[in-house]
Amino acid sequence: MFKHTLRSLLTLAFTALLGSIVVFVLLRQLGGDIVTVFLGREAAPIDVSYMRERLGLDSSLIVQYLDWLRGILSGDLGQSYGMGYDIFDEIVRRLGPTLMLTVGGLIVSVPLSLVLGTYSAINAKKVRSSFVDIFTQVGIAIPAFWAGLLLVLVFAVRLGWLPTGGYVPFTEDPVQAMRHAILPVCALSLGVTSVFTRYVRTAMIDVMNEDFMRSAMARGRTRRGAALVHGVRNASIPLVTVAALQFGQLIAGAVVVENVFVLPGIGRLIVTATLGREVVVVQSLALVIMFIILILNFFVDIAYGFLDPRIRDKESSNA
Amino acid sequence: MPDIANTTTNPPVASKSSQMWKRLRRLPITLYIGGTLVSLFVLVALGSFIWTPYPANKLNLTNRLAPPGTPGFLLGTDRAGRDVVTELMLGARNSLYVSVVSTIVAMLVGATIGLSIAGSKRFLQGPLTRLVDAGLALPGILTALVLAAKIGAGNTTATLAIIIWQIPIAARVTIGPARQILALDYVEAAYSYGRRKSYVLRRHVLPNISPLLIVLSSIMFAAAILIEAALAFLSVGVQPPTSSWGRFLNETQSLLEAAPYLMFFPGVAIVLTALGFNLLGDGLRTVLDPQQARSGLA
Repeated sequence: MFKHTLRSLLTLAFTALLGSIVVFVLLRQLGGDIVTVFLGREAAPIDVSYMRERLGLDSSLIVQYLDWLRGILSGDLGQSYGMGYDIFDEIVRRLGPTLMLTVGGLIVSVPLSLVLGTYSAINAKKVRSSFVDIFTQVGIAIPAFWAGLLLVLVFAVRLGWLPTGGYVPFTEDPVQAMRHAILPVCALSLGVTSVFTRYVRTAMIDVMNEDFMRSAMARGRTRRGAALVHGVRNASIPLVTVAALQFGQLIAGAVVVENVFVLPGIGRLIVTATLGREVVVVQSLALVIMFIILILNFFVDIAYGFLDPRIRDKESSNA
Repeated sequence: MPDIANTTTNPPVASKSSQMWKRLRRLPITLYIGGTLVSLFVLVALGSFIWTPYPANKLNLTNRLAPPGTPGFLLGTDRAGRDVVTELMLGARNSLYVSVVSTIVAMLVGATIGLSIAGSKRFLQGPLTRLVDAGLALPGILTALVLAAKIGAGNTTATLAIIIWQIPIAARVTIGPARQILALDYVEAAYSYGRRKSYVLRRHVLPNISPLLIVLSSIMFAAAILIEAALAFLSVGVQPPTSSWGRFLNETQSLLEAAPYLMFFPGVAIVLTALGFNLLGDGLRTVLDPQQARSGLA
């Protein structure tokens, strides 16, 4: 177990370092001189050299990289040049809507996909499972932003049951917060649920063919009983990895959905910054999101080893 | 040389065609639905080069926001009076362009990387695979946003971002099966008479995993179309005056009350096209790679 953790930790450190170097090089080297971007092409040479010095651009690349890295690790991501806000503070301020969306999306989609996928796997040879298949195929093909627009059209514009967008913090008014959360979370969950369901179904069908399932049925469990008691637990192991991979997709979906429902989250921040060509903001945000995804992957890796002893045994025997 | 097996049991002509019919009927239904949707999409996209109801970006200022069924405008017009059918056809063209370019490039690069990793030294395989996994975890939209902030929004940005996003996918899917094939006896045999690794990878491994890559391409097409639409929707992808389904949807967002039907058409177009490619991929898998299909790889 220790070996497994160490290996995952090394991977995390290595990929995070590599990612930060890539982002740094992108930040500094591509798309022209950053000073020219600020001061324009006709700037006086004295201004340029002053700006270079102030931004630390006159030191060597490695020193610059280390400075930048030290800043990031101490929570200093720099400032937005267009709007003047501190990037780190802004991220903290905007975390609410994004967390609401992604966590809400997981809360809806994980149980729902377990039910749908198991149902479809148990009835794999019957016609009714194809309804689930059709749902997942269509669910994957519907872009989250179109699902959002459709939901707004029906439930907000036509029926007037729910607000068209906006964000209310849960601490301020729980009822309004829930009302505002329903449509965005649904829009985001549709695709994620569909993908999960397909994985659950596959994993369940595999598990159904395992020897221990036959033993369980020989001992008098019904097919469905065996599936629910032994199957779901075994099928959820591969699902953990999928969930980690899907987390990136969940964040991507959140970026889009936040823009449909005008939620003041990180996704909206990054799109606004992109359109305003705020390179520093976009790259800092990208780095933070990348770190979050990598750290989540790390935890999933560890959890995976706990859930399925075969994984770490296999790895240590390989080593 | 006459085929002996065929001449001895030569069936009557009528039943020969019925046999073919039977074989066609045995093909999975997903292949037919997917194939039809994809062909329709490609036909519309290519057809837009030859004919569209109106020239691109022709504004009919007297006929703005005409509802569907208005004489001369089958699906109506948008806010600037552009014909919706024309817009949809041109949007299909852009989707096709972005998805074809990105999928082909990503597949070539990704499969090459995957093959090289599978054929690399044993101690390198673990770390390299994990690196690909890390790349896999990054969402494509994020890459696109970083690129767009740096080099500006546009079709090239979108295409590049989709390529960067899909390369790890293609590589990851290639590694496993390629490794399996490298462990087979005939590969050993090829080495024994002096073939080099690059030759083995190209001539023995690649043909054997190509069904898998074809299936994967179809699914990558669908993903590329969805991302292209999302980026255009966020105004990070293709810029005016080029038509795109995603951008069309973005423009209809403010018209949800005035002309709700407008958002319907591009959305349906996106869904049907993505669905078509996904179903085609599913169907192709059943035909080309029965083993994989039976184990039910999602």
